[in-house]
Amino acid sequence: MSSRKGRKNAAQVVRAQIAREKRRTRTIWTSVAAVVVLVIAGLIGWAVYSSQKSETFTTPPGANPPGTAVVLGQGPVTVDLYEDYLCPVCKRFQETSGATLNQLISEDKIRVNFHPVAFLNRFSTTEYSTRSSAAAGCAAQGGKFKEFTDQLFAQQPAEGSAGLSDEELIGLGAGVGLNRDDFGSCVRDGKYKTWTEHVTEDASKSGVTGTPTIRVNGKDVEDRTPEGIRAAVEAAGK
Amino acid sequence: MTAHPTRSGRWPAVRPWLGIAARLGLAAVWLLAGASKIDDLAASGRAVNAYQVMPYDLATVIGAALPFVELALGVLLLVGLATRVTAGISAVLLVVFVTGIASAWSRGLAIDCGCFGSGGQLAAGQAPSYLPEILRDLGFLVLAGFLLSWPRTPFSVDGWLAGDTVEVDDE
Repeated sequence: MSSRKGRKNAAQVVRAQIAREKRRTRTIWTSVAAVVVLVIAGLIGWAVYSSQKSETFTTPPGANPPGTAVVLGQGPVTVDLYEDYLCPVCKRFQETSGATLNQLISEDKIRVNFHPVAFLNRFSTTEYSTRSSAAAGCAAQGGKFKEFTDQLFAQQPAEGSAGLSDEELIGLGAGVGLNRDDFGSCVRDGKYKTWTEHVTEDASKSGVTGTPTIRVNGKDVEDRTPEGIRAAVEAAGK
Repeated sequence: MTAHPTRSGRWPAVRPWLGIAARLGLAAVWLLAGASKIDDLAASGRAVNAYQVMPYDLATVIGAALPFVELALGVLLLVGLATRVTAGISAVLLVVFVTGIASAWSRGLAIDCGCFGSGGQLAAGQAPSYLPEILRDLGFLVLAGFLLSWPRTPFSVDGWLAGDTVEVDDE
């Protein structure tokens, strides 16, 4: 009688052990499946990004040798401006300090590398940052980069809006004397969008995390007032 | 507060529902975080690069992979598959994020955490908000910690595979 009871107990122990074993196997396999799903998801992300990224880019005339900015002026001190045409602080910066920069350019004290980055695409519904920057490339091709840039800031759309349409951008270009047909087809084709991507990537690589970023001979300038910029240029020119 | 005579009695009844709330809450966090980055993978890469802790090329790869991994984590948590492992990986990721934000803070970088998109750049005239970002992530970490401790929740694939009913028997 006691032996029968012992067998029953033993059977229970074995059953419990088998159940434990099954549970363990199940946990291992579901865990493996979850990890595999995550790894595959990551690889998909990498693949999608690689397919989106353009390998080559078209640089507009008037760009610096690495093709990361349009050069204005030919002075000895280099001023790098990283600006997004949708960035309100950039517009204000242009309003307060743009004239000073123009003056320093005409005095042959500085050369400005203007980097029209597309950081703020998510703040418009139509990737306005990329479209306006690429359009500025078209303006550089027509020799009116500076004029067109000034117009883009003057007519800056609000963040979160659709921005200016391609047709409106073409209208602005024609307004500063660009050939409507050539400039228009350049804007519509998005000829310099790959360049914008290159400019933006280079800015990020150079540690630019906000717009506007102003660098004089490679050093960040915190004081963006006309006086601050003059002081930085003079210090760099010595 | 004095002793809770009913506490021990109520806990087993409440716990599964706290668990499913934590699971679905964390799922929502990952789904939102992933979805907000997925339409601009280049910006996601820039956001990672803005922390300046790895070479640019590696940052772009991580930045591109991250939104998809976040979405996958969200889906796994939503259906409740391998909850303990996904909660563990969530916790590890959150600790990495908190460490990254704290390190950006201590190095005086002025960046957006990029947690829910934005490419790591601050919007116009915005000051970095490191403390709220860290506290938010620590809150998410609590959810992950709960699921790590009690991974079995109602309406989960885990429970279904184990042949559980909604009423969860534990241990």
